[in-house]
Amino acid sequence: MDEFVEAFAARRPSGLEQAYALWSRLFFSVARHVVSDNALAEDCVHDALMRVWRSPNRFDGNREMLKAYLITCVRNESLGMARREGRRDARELKAARLAPVTSVDAPVVDPVETQRLQAALERLPEEQRAALTLAYYGNKTQVEIAKELDVPLGTIKSRISMAMRKLQTELASPGGNRS
Amino acid sequence: MTEHLSEDLELYPLGILDDDAARNVERHVASCSECAERVAQAQAVAASLAAALPQATPSPALERRLRESARPRSSAKRRANVFPFALAAGFALAFLGFGWQTLVLHERLAAEDVALVTMVHSHFNHVSMSPESATPVAAKILYARDGSWVYIIADKPAGVLHAVAHTAAGAADLGALGSAGETATLLLHPRERIRSITLQRGGIDVAAATLAY
Repeated sequence: MDEFVEAFAARRPSGLEQAYALWSRLFFSVARHVVSDNALAEDCVHDALMRVWRSPNRFDGNREMLKAYLITCVRNESLGMARREGRRDARELKAARLAPVTSVDAPVVDPVETQRLQAALERLPEEQRAALTLAYYGNKTQVEIAKELDVPLGTIKSRISMAMRKLQTELASPGGNRS
Repeated sequence: MTEHLSEDLELYPLGILDDDAARNVERHVASCSECAERVAQAQAVAASLAAALPQATPSPALERRLRESARPRSSAKRRANVFPFALAAGFALAFLGFGWQTLVLHERLAAEDVALVTMVHSHFNHVSMSPESATPVAAKILYARDGSWVYIIADKPAGVLHAVAHTAAGAADLGALGSAGETATLLLHPRERIRSITLQRGGIDVAAATLAY
């Protein structure tokens, strides 16, 4: 196992510090996108990281898996915070302003990866792309998406699931940007 | 062996499942490596989606908070910093409307300064404890919204006060509040979410409060 991942899993402060040094902007961006407030976003990052780091865990993956796992934790913490704070209106307004990858108001974390993602998103069937985009970038629940797109909930789940699996295949392939 | 889960595994990292469905995924993947692998793959896709968000940089205060939170409690004594922290805590408490004219934070503060810093820089709730006997005690509880710390403060305790916590697992004695001049305090970092706290004096309930998160 990566030494730093091992330090994180073993709840050593050095593991937490390195994770933060590597991915703090990513974590903060994820939280800020959901809660639309810098102070709340910092709370979400803090609470999510501390919760994971303090918990006895059996994490045995690599560095990228740890990053993906922590991003999920930060996002879930932020969505929970947004619900608690009743900031739905604010985050929907923000989400409307922050279109997924075509309207970027600040440098993204990795422009090359973003281009690959955008190309992969464009290759998805329209109905899958719409459902996934509303879920991730619109911060909407599956019930809200079903209502907005006027299709059954089961259909929405299938569309998003298939979209995720297709993206996984596309992004995992070398280059991943075939047309 | 239980059946594998289906689409919820891909939906989980997006945070769009309701609470029951999300907990179900978490329980299942804890014992199913195949589904755990699918969730890990979906998390990697979600990480790619996250990387396309506009980037923003958190304030330096966040890194300081994390360092303080991760610091082992046994090494938390930094007496040189007691005075600023006492001031900060005093401001925080005064802001919350405490009527006490004097907030005496004795040497115990040195052991609690990390939590006080967290308190000053984080979001927390507070609740007045309800009197529970003919000789009640005026007390308040400050607690982090994420439940990571709880600070009990009693005014003029008139004896040793014991705190009892009630969690999903049952009741647990938290020990005695420490005396600090006119007040008695107790700082906790509970492992489980505390639902309510009762203060007892001589085995009799004298105050109680429910914590809402």
